Amino acid sequence: MAFKIRTGYEGDLSLFKTPQAIASYGALLLLLCAAPFFLGSYFLSQIVFVLIYTIVGIGLVLLSGYAGQTSIGHAAFLAIGAYTAANAAKFGVPIYIYLPAAGLLTGLVGWLVGLPALRLHGIYLAIATFAFALIVEEILARWETVTHGNEGMMVKPASLFSKPLGEWGLYYLCIGVTIFVIVVAVNVIRSPTGRAFLALRDSETAARSMGVDSARYKTFAFALSAGMTGLAGVLYAHKLSFISPEMFTLALSIEFVMIIIIGGIASLRGAALGAVFMIMVDPMLVLMKDKLPALIGAVSGSPMAQDKASVLLATPGVKSLIFGLIIIFFIIYEPMGLDGRWMKIKTWFKLFPFYRPATFRRQKMYLKSERGR
Amino acid sequence: MKKLALAFGMSVAAGALAVSPALAQFKTQGVSDTEIVVGTHMDLSGPIKSWGIPASNGAKLAVEQINAAGGINGRKIRYILEDDAYDPKKAVLATQKLIELDKVFSIVSPMGSATTLAPLPIVQAAGITNLFSITAAEFTYAMDPNKPEDRLKFNIFSPYYDQARVGIKYLVENKKPKKACIIYQDDEMGKNFTDAYKDQLTAMKIPLQTMVSFKRGATDFSSQVARLKADGCDFVSLGSVVRESVAILTAAKKSDYNPIWVAFSPTYVPDLHDLGKDVADNVYGVGQLEIFYEDTATGKIKDFVEAYKKMFGVAPNLQVTSGYNGMMTFAHYAKQCGKDLTTDCLINKMETGEPFQDIFGQAPVKFTKTNHLGAEELLVAQVQNGRWKAIATKQTYK
Repeated sequence: MAFKIRTGYEGDLSLFKTPQAIASYGALLLLLCAAPFFLGSYFLSQIVFVLIYTIVGIGLVLLSGYAGQTSIGHAAFLAIGAYTAANAAKFGVPIYIYLPAAGLLTGLVGWLVGLPALRLHGIYLAIATFAFALIVEEILARWETVTHGNEGMMVKPASLFSKPLGEWGLYYLCIGVTIFVIVVAVNVIRSPTGRAFLALRDSETAARSMGVDSARYKTFAFALSAGMTGLAGVLYAHKLSFISPEMFTLALSIEFVMIIIIGGIASLRGAALGAVFMIMVDPMLVLMKDKLPALIGAVSGSPMAQDKASVLLATPGVKSLIFGLIIIFFIIYEPMGLDGRWMKIKTWFKLFPFYRPATFRRQKMYLKSERGR
Repeated sequence: MKKLALAFGMSVAAGALAVSPALAQFKTQGVSDTEIVVGTHMDLSGPIKSWGIPASNGAKLAVEQINAAGGINGRKIRYILEDDAYDPKKAVLATQKLIELDKVFSIVSPMGSATTLAPLPIVQAAGITNLFSITAAEFTYAMDPNKPEDRLKFNIFSPYYDQARVGIKYLVENKKPKKACIIYQDDEMGKNFTDAYKDQLTAMKIPLQTMVSFKRGATDFSSQVARLKADGCDFVSLGSVVRESVAILTAAKKSDYNPIWVAFSPTYVPDLHDLGKDVADNVYGVGQLEIFYEDTATGKIKDFVEAYKKMFGVAPNLQVTSGYNGMMTFAHYAKQCGKDLTTDCLINKMETGEPFQDIFGQAPVKFTKTNHLGAEELLVAQVQNGRWKAIATKQTYK
């Protein structure tokens, strides 16, 4: 592995590893802030969904990638955040109160769900979180006075000081919440808590013998991850403007797990890249469906080929097939996810012409906790 | 960090100020001298694709026929179909794509409740029409007098609530049962049926009787049937989807229990007698159109069946008609606008109350300024000799 050599404590303590990182992330932020001025609302919507998925992804990276706890019930946390927002907005609570409140409430629920995690591991924990998600789904369908049951409920548009935020406002709110969540995550990871997460993930026995309170950190990991997902839920509710229990099913939880598998399981940047993949590939395939046949027709010069291509690409399920193939390809050839691929490409340019594939081959490891650093 | 937070706060405030509430203004786009662009999103690969694929095929057939006949006043329809996989997130993105990139004139027959409701504010903000969503939910036609943008939505599908009231009214009046009961699926659909059951019996001043529920996906109904039998119900409404209805009828047959059954659109489908065979005999059904059969179809329905088979290689089912009728209804009203087709003109023409008669013989579709639900009248049918047969048309509960 290529490591950054640090020469002082400042380098270790700083939020950004290099000055280049500040420049590139700053440029990204500027670009995002300027996006509404040159992008239509179709693309803005995509970015909003990417940001929401990024927040959930970061929550899951902390929980699964760093603390080593599995969850296939995160859709339930999203639902709790979403329904909190919908109800609070209904009673006229301002957004600057219910946004943090939804995060705290979901965090509390996450802490409760974390309690069984003290006794369960791996697949059993996954099943427990799945059961939790089913329970929440059922409650949403039954508690009609609050959730309006299976009928679903409309969510009032987000407003600040009785002025509607509108599309742009929601977009900037999503950027703000995402930055907040990233900053929290980065700080948790480099604090003693984050190191305790890593220790617990790699060997619980070793961690406990070093004095890490496993119960406390495991439940905290769940609470933190759930709280972030709850924040995402508020944004999700406002973005969709309508929520119903059937939207928060196992399929959504699996989508969230896919974010971090595709992005790279123990990487915050991976969560963002995974979210971009999950949201943007589908619209890209849609555009491809519209544009590719004409291109094929122009290149091959035969209208027959164009017709064949448009029929093939418009066949229902072809999009899902392409999507599935990309995912299988990633799992087989790039287990470190998009983030791993990104690092390899970066290193290739950095070391040109001395890049060797062996650079990234795992050599002798003294600690399992070197993984994912 | 503080600086960052401040900068962020300012940008949020700036963003909020920059956006003033969008006033509803009807907009016309996607109409050129030669074509009209019409878009929709349906579930083609998700949990309700057994509805989405035939319905979209029906719409495609309608477009083909309209264009073959010279289009709408010389303009051909270009039909853009997106797959939303019954995911509201994808439905929102698909709708924005249709509006912004494809510049559609109207969204015709989008499918599903959540998948229509989530993008609806976007369609209304864009000022284009949202027509004939394939769901009977109230929001697809309900109008708030304070919201001019609500004029943009229309529907032609009768809600479950109306169907149940019509069916219960008709049978109570004609068969005079002693005890009217209901068995229902314990979810939103079932709630529509039980609401209608309560309201209709109350309106007719008949005491409410046994109401038994079952969970979605249940397969054993012996206890529910035993309860209905023990309570002496001689008229039972089926608030269930076709698979469960067949199981309920089979369980009743086994315990020699033969009340009058009435079913509504989730069960008023040919599958009932295909799956249930003789247990389905004499069951009543309430729906919008008379179910047609490939071999006995005549006239326009026969032509329709043949055209569909030629285009897609299979015989059309009931779902096909929802997409077909949606497009045909749109074409009917768009045609009346002549050369200057605008969204305002389309809405005005639809609100005149001039009826549209489909080829399947359902009650004419009619809209007014205050009523954007085109379906008022329903028909009652009964399974006779293994096939649905209409026995009463033009039924309403009002």
